[in-house]
Amino acid sequence: MSIMRLLLIEDNPRLAGLIRDGLQGQGFAVDWCGTIAGAEAAQKVNSYDLLLLDLGLPDGDGLELLRTVRRRKDATPILVLTARGGLDDRVSGLDAGADDYLVKPFQIPELAARCRALMRRPGAALGTILACGNVMLDTVERSITIGATAIEAPPREVDLLEHLLRRAGHVVAKAALENSLYAMDAEVTPNALEAVVSRLRKRLGSAHADVTVRTVHGVGYALLAPLAAPVATQAENA
Amino acid sequence: MPERSGTGPSLFRQIARRLLVFTLIFALLDVVIVLVTYARQPESLAQELLGLEARRVAVIDDPINAVPLTGMRNFSARFVQPDVDDDAVLIDWTRREQIEGGYRISGVRALDDGDDPRWLFLRFDAIGIRPFLPVIRNELIEHVALPLVPLAGLLLLFNIVSVRRTLAPLRRAETEVDGLDPQDMSLRLTMPSQPREVNTLVRAGNRALARLEASVLTLRDFTANAAHELRTPLAIMQLSLERLPDGPIKSDLQTDADHMTRLVGQMLDLAQADALVVDESVVVDLAAVGRAVVTQLAPKSFVAGRELRFSDHGGSMIDGHAEAVFRIYRNLVDNALAHAPGATPIEVSAGPGPQLAVRDHGPGILAADQPHLFERFWRNNRSSADGAGLGFGIVKRLVDAHGGTIVIETPEGGGALFRVEFPNAAATAG
Repeated sequence: MSIMRLLLIEDNPRLAGLIRDGLQGQGFAVDWCGTIAGAEAAQKVNSYDLLLLDLGLPDGDGLELLRTVRRRKDATPILVLTARGGLDDRVSGLDAGADDYLVKPFQIPELAARCRALMRRPGAALGTILACGNVMLDTVERSITIGATAIEAPPREVDLLEHLLRRAGHVVAKAALENSLYAMDAEVTPNALEAVVSRLRKRLGSAHADVTVRTVHGVGYALLAPLAAPVATQAENA
Repeated sequence: MPERSGTGPSLFRQIARRLLVFTLIFALLDVVIVLVTYARQPESLAQELLGLEARRVAVIDDPINAVPLTGMRNFSARFVQPDVDDDAVLIDWTRREQIEGGYRISGVRALDDGDDPRWLFLRFDAIGIRPFLPVIRNELIEHVALPLVPLAGLLLLFNIVSVRRTLAPLRRAETEVDGLDPQDMSLRLTMPSQPREVNTLVRAGNRALARLEASVLTLRDFTANAAHELRTPLAIMQLSLERLPDGPIKSDLQTDADHMTRLVGQMLDLAQADALVVDESVVVDLAAVGRAVVTQLAPKSFVAGRELRFSDHGGSMIDGHAEAVFRIYRNLVDNALAHAPGATPIEVSAGPGPQLAVRDHGPGILAADQPHLFERFWRNNRSSADGAGLGFGIVKRLVDAHGGTIVIETPEGGGALFRVEFPNAAATAG
């Protein structure tokens, strides 16, 4: 697995240092610059898998850099890190071409999870091994390993697990799961998805998986890591 | 309704009182003039007195029996006829002679009895001023009271009309001042074209409003800027804390930092909520926003051992601001997470129609607490370290900006149910 290379554009050196150290600890390679000019120079030299962009920069507004990048048809994912959490800031940030928006302060696991999620998007490099707790899924081999034991599962349950693992710690909408699981089927009974979830739950449980599949009534399902090592989901003021 | 009755006398009363004093002074002056006039012409006073006495005596069948007034002596009265033929007439005459202590007055007055003319001869001694008093009284009524009373009445009427008319712009300004809203500092009073005095007062009021607006906006901006500036150091603090070795000190500090983060976020949210203007052309699906809120908060609440449920009752499209609706939901859910006990579900719903609701199975809201619930910085338990008591203030402000209402209900089975109703159901396109 190649190391993901990020460019961090943040003018506060102390905060930048902490973010860089934190992300390096999570397995990312991080370059840092403190100005828009510096960011443009760095992008000419290197190509990055992701830009982490602070909006208030000494030589201009980060949104301007965002528009410049998008104007030259550069599809590099951009995650905006900002102290602005206004009612319309998120929308204007996303409108300007940001892929995600994270309001300060945040925690490194949350930031790392968002970065990975962005890089898993179509068009970005896909990881082949998905893991949460003691559950691992090889997306190419379609094989599930729990702890050290490989287990067998029907394709539909593997697909479901993949979707949940990709958004581990987050709720995946029922509609999205139904669409991808039954894309080919002419008819879907209302409880078909529930049945698959229930079978997957039993299978994970009997294999002593430490993750849980929770139902969020009226919305969808979420795969949760064991409580001892929670996936940070404290999205403040998102 | 604000207190309408001010203190101090009304302008109408002040003017009326002054008019009355003015009229009295005028009347007094008039009296003096009348008295001086008669003092200079005692002749005409005698004439008037004789005429008055003649009219008094004439109604008695036999004038001989007439009782003289106080201060009159040697009173005699009798009818007289001309000595010649029937067509003759007698001329009115008056004679006044000075006697000891007064005047002797005598004379004839014609009595107009229609077809039968009669003449009365009178003679009496008027001692002192007393007999003249009725004359003077009559003269005062005729020359002072008769002209002045209607004049005073007219002035009073004029006073009522003109005061009411002059003060109409002031009354309108008063209504407008009562209608001023701290949320909308751009409101100004309507400038009356006249009177100039009211115009200048209203103008001064508007200048004061402009200064107030500037300072309120400065304060609001300051809150927003301060909260905003605090976020970067908070981020640094949180990330530094993560690098500490695990232990009770680290987790305590992290709790404190989380609390502070929440406070700063709420202050910023509130400042933004105060400045929110809802563009009514944007359609928001309450169900979609409710799902997004549950999607975002469910993992966090699962970690805390809590459960969030969502149900869609349909028809919940409104004209509004999606991010604001998101924050209404989120603050209500945050409150439920904070106050309802563990293991009880929190039910989030949208519809039916333009409304949303969040219901918990906690202890409910005491009736005594309900009026304070939406006050900023109010908490029912001041020692509670959870939040700053701004959550409901934010909700209230965001709901107000939509022109909606929020009600607290106690559903069957206990707990609290917060229902937000929006006035603007979106026009359904087909």
